[in-house]
Amino acid sequence: MRPFAADDDGTMGFQIAPMVDVVFVIMLFFMVMAGAVKVEHELSTRLPGTAEGSPSAEFTDETIIAISDEGEISLNEEPFDSAESAELPQLRATLMRLKENADSAHQPAVVTIVSDAHAKYSRTIEVLNALAAAKITNVTFNVGEE
Amino acid sequence: MAGGGGGLEKGEPDFQIAPMVDVLLVILIFFMIITSAQVLNIDKTIRLPIAPEAAKKDDSRAEAIINVRWDPATERASFNFQDRLYTRGSELVAPIRAAKESGERNSKPGQNPEFRVVIRGDRDVPALFVSQAMNAAAEAGIADIAFSAVNHD
Repeated sequence: MRPFAADDDGTMGFQIAPMVDVVFVIMLFFMVMAGAVKVEHELSTRLPGTAEGSPSAEFTDETIIAISDEGEISLNEEPFDSAESAELPQLRATLMRLKENADSAHQPAVVTIVSDAHAKYSRTIEVLNALAAAKITNVTFNVGEE
Repeated sequence: MAGGGGGLEKGEPDFQIAPMVDVLLVILIFFMIITSAQVLNIDKTIRLPIAPEAAKKDDSRAEAIINVRWDPATERASFNFQDRLYTRGSELVAPIRAAKESGERNSKPGQNPEFRVVIRGDRDVPALFVSQAMNAAAEAGIADIAFSAVNHD
């Protein structure tokens, strides 16, 4: 039997053309959705806690990133990037250098984020994003007193 | 016989595969939308912040999700935990502790036993309220905190 022709008794056979149409629609749907789909990701941190006592203690340089209520960012009291910048290129480059230096000195890069209580949470995430780009994982997050 | 919706010459309607596949497609899309909303437990009132460098979410761990909502009209934040709404962060301590005990009791062999809290905060919420959620987690004995973000807007 040919795919588009009727049987000898007059009944229609399996219609391949609409089937292919529908398959194309499904494929197009998934192609469009693949680019637009939002995936939920995560930025991990640990809360500062009481460390167990050990015979030897190593002291590492702690870097403090402060976020003001206007979204201005400073690293060890030195301002970085503008309050409107979401990518934070200067901070990101500095953090990458910091990580390289810490790795070459076989020391962990420890960063504390201190945000103003009224600063937008998205600003904290932008700083955490810059830290993730620099592959710095020892991060703690505090909010300053009101 | 008519080509579209007609029947046979003896009066019986023909079985049409094309409309059936159309209906199946609609059902498929319906279930895709419903299922994704159920599995991810997404609070649609929350606009998550953007972090393209964030790591893929680790779904294998026992965790509790705290949604921190922000109402710009009233400028008030609220916490949604296990489908219950709380107005103060301190109210979250007891339910988080109960969720932690339950999660640790039901942890599977080979799974990371450390329970964690995932904070899904609105991008406009002041950091103070996220801090309240973190404090509640700390008081419940959880030090491992993750912040949720989306890969793009």
